Amino acid sequence: MGERIAFWVCAVMIIGGALMTISRKNTVTAVMSLVMTFFGLAAIYTLLSAHFLAAIQILVYAGAIMTLFVFVVMVLNRDEVAPWALRGIVGKAIGIGALAYTIALTVLLLGSTPGFLASTRSYKSGPPPEGWGGVADVGNILFTKYLFAFEAISLLLLVAVIGAVVVARIPRHVEVAAPADQKPAAGQGGHG
Amino acid sequence: MIPVENFLILAAVLFAIGVLGVVLRRNALIVLMSIELMLNAANLTLLAYGRARHDATFQALAFLVVAVAAAEAAVGLAIVVGIFRNRHSTNLDELTLMKH
Repeated sequence: MGERIAFWVCAVMIIGGALMTISRKNTVTAVMSLVMTFFGLAAIYTLLSAHFLAAIQILVYAGAIMTLFVFVVMVLNRDEVAPWALRGIVGKAIGIGALAYTIALTVLLLGSTPGFLASTRSYKSGPPPEGWGGVADVGNILFTKYLFAFEAISLLLLVAVIGAVVVARIPRHVEVAAPADQKPAAGQGGHG
Repeated sequence: MIPVENFLILAAVLFAIGVLGVVLRRNALIVLMSIELMLNAANLTLLAYGRARHDATFQALAFLVVAVAAAEAAVGLAIVVGIFRNRHSTNLDELTLMKH
């Protein structure tokens, strides 16, 4: 029973945060709603007994990525004139309709036949064994079977860090943001 | 114990919200956040299946997805800052330089 309540509280938190993220005009509000979604997801991961991933979720998403977003929001510091993209609305409406149809079918299929997945052979009922999904368990797999993927991902992170610095830094021989072509109402922007 | 279907439906709804954000918003930052939402929905699906099969391989895969998402956010935000510096705008509808 308590598990069920926790699931629904987290689900409301996740969906509400996600809806706030895509609907707010203020970018800082959007980032904070995104953080709410991330915390809800971390709680859901705990419910799925993925404790290592829950910790990673908070450290990486609510810690690092959120800070990155807030810094960029501060650097850009620009009010939106027209937040909703309405160009090419017909194609987008068709795409959204197709997506809604797919999602509705999925929800109907999964919701109408409870135990639909559990009835197939490879799915086990009942909670996983004690200690499943902890650091030891995930680390064992990462450092034996998927060692190459782990090393490759560390190389990818290194490349991403260098690439981000190269793309975002101000080149020394180019003048910074000539103020003449800025719009008068723009205010102070680009002084990161 | 909550059936795995609940988690899958939640992930599907979260993914749909992410797609809506990408399609309907003009602000590049909001679009990047929506991409993060979709990556998280994929992660939730992975973990739900992992628990259903009692297989920790899914968690290793989700860990790799988190690392890729972090790299994507860093590079994406750097590109947004670079575009802003050159064009003084983060409106995606105005970035049509390669169209003509």
